[in-house]
Amino acid sequence: MMSLATRSGAFSPYLQATNSAVAGPLKPLIPGVIMKTDKLSSVLDTKKPFLCREYLYGQSAKSGHAVSVSLSARSSVRFVHTDIKIPDFSDYRRPEVLDPKKSSQDSGNTRWAFSYLITGSTAVVGVNAAKTVVTQFVSSMNIPEGKNMTFKWRGKPLFVQHRTEKEIASEADVNLAELRDPQHDRDRVQNPTWIIVIGVCTHLGCVPIANAGDYGGYYCPCHGSHYDASGRIRKGPAPLNLEVPYYEFPDNDMVIVG
Amino acid sequence: MVSSMWRISGAVNRALARAGYPLLLSLRRGQASVSYAQSLLGAPETQLTTLSNGFRIASEETNQATCTVGLCIDCGSRYESEKNNGAGFFLEHMAFKGTKKHPQSALEHAVESMGAHLSAYTSRERTAYYMKTLAKDLPKAVELLAEVVQSSSLSEADIEQQRSVVLRELEEVQGSLQDVCLDLLHATAFQGTPLGHSVLGPSANARILTRNDLVEYINSHYKAPRMVLATAGGVNHDELVALAKQHFSGVSFEYEGDAVPVLSPCRFTGSEIRMRDDAMPLAHIAIAVEGAGAASPDIVPLMVANSIIGCYDITFGGGKHLSSRLARLAAELNLCHSFQAFHSSYSDTGLLGIYFVTDKHKIEDMMHWAQNAWMNLCTTVTESDVARAKNALKASLVGQLNGTTPVCDDIGRHLLNYGRRIPLAEWDARIEAVTPRIVRDVCSKYIYDKCPAVSAVGPIEQLPDYNRMRSAMYWLRF
Repeated sequence: MMSLATRSGAFSPYLQATNSAVAGPLKPLIPGVIMKTDKLSSVLDTKKPFLCREYLYGQSAKSGHAVSVSLSARSSVRFVHTDIKIPDFSDYRRPEVLDPKKSSQDSGNTRWAFSYLITGSTAVVGVNAAKTVVTQFVSSMNIPEGKNMTFKWRGKPLFVQHRTEKEIASEADVNLAELRDPQHDRDRVQNPTWIIVIGVCTHLGCVPIANAGDYGGYYCPCHGSHYDASGRIRKGPAPLNLEVPYYEFPDNDMVIVG
Repeated sequence: MVSSMWRISGAVNRALARAGYPLLLSLRRGQASVSYAQSLLGAPETQLTTLSNGFRIASEETNQATCTVGLCIDCGSRYESEKNNGAGFFLEHMAFKGTKKHPQSALEHAVESMGAHLSAYTSRERTAYYMKTLAKDLPKAVELLAEVVQSSSLSEADIEQQRSVVLRELEEVQGSLQDVCLDLLHATAFQGTPLGHSVLGPSANARILTRNDLVEYINSHYKAPRMVLATAGGVNHDELVALAKQHFSGVSFEYEGDAVPVLSPCRFTGSEIRMRDDAMPLAHIAIAVEGAGAASPDIVPLMVANSIIGCYDITFGGGKHLSSRLARLAAELNLCHSFQAFHSSYSDTGLLGIYFVTDKHKIEDMMHWAQNAWMNLCTTVTESDVARAKNALKASLVGQLNGTTPVCDDIGRHLLNYGRRIPLAEWDARIEAVTPRIVRDVCSKYIYDKCPAVSAVGPIEQLPDYNRMRSAMYWLRF
């Protein structure tokens, strides 16, 4: 086995290299690098022709191969894989595995249990949060004042109208003697702000149009029945008021019909 | 009674052989081969003697003209610190550079004139110096081994010269990517612990280790209770004991300041290390979980489990008829160039894993199927898989011991790990006791839902993210 000293004959100018900066493949090395030996000689003379691949051997075996610089391959400062130091991850370790002299098997079960507990709880909380958000967006009773919303309820249209103060007041003042089917407004609603009626015309079963007609309520286009804001028949062929289904308000934001 | 039967059969065999009737050695006359059952019982018992200083001598006497004499020492890179990591390896290089009585040329002459082979190896927990020689040269062999270990000259000039040799060897090892990959696997799996040290040691240490470091290493670790002189071949045990008394009685058994080095457990960390280099043609990847120590009862089920996965090389001719399922897939889907299931066990821990070499576009598939094989072991391994693996394992255990050197190594290893030589019949019984349920339970204990350590070298862009490999360590379907 040839010794390093004899093989490095051609590279005697570079023999004193110990530590060197590494250049990229096409950038020349700047002379003036950190040297550990007493004799200073320039590591790489940039005026000399730059060979394809150069190895910087040390003269004594103590310095050895520190750097490889080449145009064609990568530049590296690592000599062998055993020089790779695995970093110290103590800052990120759980306390049970901080001590390198303790087997990690002992704490294995507790660490596993903790991880799965956190994962499981986060999943449960996350699902609940998602459900809340979704329900908030999907089933919000956000009907603006004066507007009517139609829902399909047991196969029939259900009108839910958010009445304005004016409408409430005017409906309450209607003279019952004028009505074909006399009913006071307060007998038809539980909460005067909300009128909930089944949107089927009592004449021949068409669906009236909301916020239409001469009385500020509903208008059935089939035969011209006019209903008021309380769903009572005022003009036209229909004989009865719009049907009020059974409903209840469990709280102010929710109504259950049926 | 069984042991006496062994000795009798051994004696009968020897008598028959000496009388010149080798064919009569087999109990079934007319057949020259030996059945499996006979091979279990045919080996003579290993005889063990301990000297007063704790030095152990073990030998298996078979009727041969040659023998292997080995000195196994319970020390290795696991006993080294960051500062002197690589001292054992360096010392191994210095071992044959001459002793106080035999300078290098005299040592070489002595060995070569006998026609003997003298060599050594260092591993993480064991160092061994062994000599393969003719049985009649046993006294000289023991003398030389004793000198090499106890009175190596360790001259400064030789040390300086060996430095460059060690550095050159370190550089050459970079070409053996299997060694690099498995070294990195240990470094990351046992990070921060002595088992993470490579046997070779860092190049910085190779440059600054001094004679004092080597002498200190010898004084701390080359102690009689940690040494075993193992011999296999045509060697008489009593003769060997006499020689050992003559040469090894002087080995010290006391430590300076009573500082007995005690091995503390080594923490395993599920982690990964990626050494990417797209210029390399093939990727070398190893994935491992923490395995069982040598003395653990789970060793045999894990060996059976590894036999189920087996090994494969692209040169295997079996193709889709290979017995291991992973090997069949590797052949049919062209998944890899080679793979092997391994279990490196140390005294109290181990690494149970699969190492494979593959093309850069097949890494993800190969990793998927390798972990699938592990899951199969933990969940659905069948009676036929286990039966086949048990047979393969038994055959390989018996077949490995085909020469004095493997037997000598076996003796040394067993004595250092278990304190006694475990006979083949006992291994056979322990293997026979393994059932699919035991394989499933043991594998689940070590593999299922555990964090693996992964090391990868080469063009490894396709290697999945660690979290995905971690997720493949359990099945949601199960």
